[in-house]
Amino acid sequence: MHLTIEEFVDVAEGARSEASLPHVSACAACRERLAAMRTAIRTAAADDVPEPSPLFWKGLSARVTEAIDADLAARRQWWAAWTRPRVLVPLSAVALLAIVVATTPNPNALWRGATPATTSPPAETTARAATIEPASDMVDLAADPLLTLVSDLSANMDWESAAAAGLAERGSADHAVTHMNSDELRALKKLLQEELARPGA
Amino acid sequence: MESPLTWTFPGFWQMATVDVPLESLDERALVDACLAGQREAFDLIVERHRRAVYQLCYRFVANHEDASDLAQDVFVRAYRGLRKFRRQSSIGTWLYRIGVNVCINRVSARTLPTEPIAERQFVDPKADSGSDRLLQSERRAKVRAAIAQLPRKQRATLILRVYHEMSHQEIADALGSSVGAVKANFFHALGNLRKLLGPEGL
Repeated sequence: MHLTIEEFVDVAEGARSEASLPHVSACAACRERLAAMRTAIRTAAADDVPEPSPLFWKGLSARVTEAIDADLAARRQWWAAWTRPRVLVPLSAVALLAIVVATTPNPNALWRGATPATTSPPAETTARAATIEPASDMVDLAADPLLTLVSDLSANMDWESAAAAGLAERGSADHAVTHMNSDELRALKKLLQEELARPGA
Repeated sequence: MESPLTWTFPGFWQMATVDVPLESLDERALVDACLAGQREAFDLIVERHRRAVYQLCYRFVANHEDASDLAQDVFVRAYRGLRKFRRQSSIGTWLYRIGVNVCINRVSARTLPTEPIAERQFVDPKADSGSDRLLQSERRAKVRAAIAQLPRKQRATLILRVYHEMSHQEIADALGSSVGAVKANFFHALGNLRKLLGPEGL
């Protein structure tokens, strides 16, 4: 059996003697390979790195010093940029907000100004909430006394009254609908009927 | 005021300090001085290792310009990572490790040109005549170009083993591989070098 790669390397480098591996004396192929490896090592080792000019070394040291200074300056600049009040204050605010949102059990309540879960809502709104289960956010909406008041006030309001009250702002979809002519309204009605007639609508 | 070229050692029980010229410090003490804010200590580390680091880089890229850039990069990275130097090896071995990584990454990013024979500054005083010198220069250039064509790990292994005389274990540590893998890379590097140079090149 021929030598392994490790044996070839050890013998070629002289870390192990040829005599310790009897196969070498019997195998011409292994001997030839070992000789080729030794020649390649000798050839490579004979190559020197060209010596640069003596001035080069001082120049290299100076370049290293300059590069380190530039690197340190860039790092300081980067740090200063991130710690400026103009950047730091909004970043801190965002971080604080993120912490508040992350630690609040029901973050949606923050935006709606809902009463905390521990306070019991009025009996009337609780009953209404029970009818629109199971969506949890819908329950919260129904539990909001302000929204309930708005809902009660606007229950009997028709389209014209809403427009007259200024609820349909210029530029909104509602405003656009209230300003359509009869042909446009007919076309819209047709489109809506088609959509409602579709299965699953 | 403290001289820029001295390092103040904390003395016995912190009651006294001893001023020692930086030049007389060993490498570990230089690292300590550098970490304590003495930039001049790092200049001395550069001065002591710049030739070896440059030669390592030159072996990888076989041209002076890229070797200088790489050597500079090695020292900048070393300065940046000085706090990570764990002192298990010498600072020279640590710099080699950084150098090998810098070179391997840069060499993999693009193919670097090898230096034309006319631009080489090496002159062999042992060569008898101008024609002998030229032939030897040409031969060396071929060997260098062949080494520069070897796959990255084979090249790194050959360079560290043949030119920097690192042990297989040290090379394995530097390359983050095993001794077996280092020996296999060395074996294949020699085989490929032979193929690239041909019988007349060896």
